[in-house]
Amino acid sequence: MVTIPRLETERLILRAFTSNDFDAYADLWADGDWSQFIGGPLDRNKAWRTLAADIGHWHLLGHGMFAVEEKATGKFVGMIGHWHPEGWPEPEIAWTLAPTSAGKGFATEAVHELIDYTFNTLKWDTVVSYIDDKNIPSQKVATRVGAIAEDTIEMNGKPIRVHRHPNPNTNSASSTVPKGSA
Amino acid sequence: MNFIPRLETERLILRAFTPEDYVHVHAIFADEEWSQYIGGPLDGGSSWRAFASLIGHWTIRGYGTFAVEEKSTGSFVGMIGHWFPEGWPEPEIGWTLSKSAAGKGYATEAVKEVLRHTFDDLKWETAISMIAPKNEASKKVAERLGAKFEEEIVSRGNTVGIYRHPKPTI
Repeated sequence: MVTIPRLETERLILRAFTSNDFDAYADLWADGDWSQFIGGPLDRNKAWRTLAADIGHWHLLGHGMFAVEEKATGKFVGMIGHWHPEGWPEPEIAWTLAPTSAGKGFATEAVHELIDYTFNTLKWDTVVSYIDDKNIPSQKVATRVGAIAEDTIEMNGKPIRVHRHPNPNTNSASSTVPKGSA
Repeated sequence: MNFIPRLETERLILRAFTPEDYVHVHAIFADEEWSQYIGGPLDGGSSWRAFASLIGHWTIRGYGTFAVEEKSTGSFVGMIGHWFPEGWPEPEIGWTLSKSAAGKGYATEAVKEVLRHTFDDLKWETAISMIAPKNEASKKVAERLGAKFEEEIVSRGNTVGIYRHPKPTI
């Protein structure tokens, strides 16, 4: 059985989902404006299955999505992690905050930590983020943490920008697709 | 997922899913006719998420769906177990065989063991199965094992019959 790690930043804890996260998780998915770029809106039944799939992803692949908890309040404020379902071109770093937790720099703080974990703990060669063409806030976060927009592809019928995160342990900032990522 | 029990019948093993089971689960979900009563057909991306959610269900609820393996060959022949996502009226016992494994009495054999597990090991007071009115094969299995039709309900836009499994009296 896979052990889901616990990561920490100054203001945030990244940890395994628990069933207590479900209400806040379902609220995030129910908000059509907010969840439109990650496949929403979803009703509570579909959100529950998605939470179950997020957890199952860890057991199938050994990596996955974390719940993000605000240290100061203990509240669920979003999710971030690796996402590589069947049909995805490469593993990606994905993130979404709860609407009420936006605007505090939490996404940037969590993505920084995930990038460090990806390259320095998991020792991946490369990782991307797939961001909807219209999702300006996430594109800004990706750019702020140093990702390079290298391409626009179509995923589920939508134009998606491929942002590649530079590997701090290699000289080349971009370009090579990982071996055996399929 | 080392807390998932391993159950055994004369011809079958009921065990935790492994990543290698995905191709077989996908084959079930991708077949339009075969998957019509379990929410299919699904494409690869959707069947993978459905597969992942079956596994995550165990973490959230502490019980869930087993892979069914044929003892004599070691082949994956279907899935069976408990299913209780948000919005379901009650926890249910659900099952689906691979198409190639139908007609051998495997569903009846597996459901019988899951009923034993439900009442003897998990100590549940009651359990239902939700079966589409046109799903004659599953209705026969439920009725053969003593389940009683209670009512038809509409669950997420689909009409399904509620079959209640009798708790064995000691």
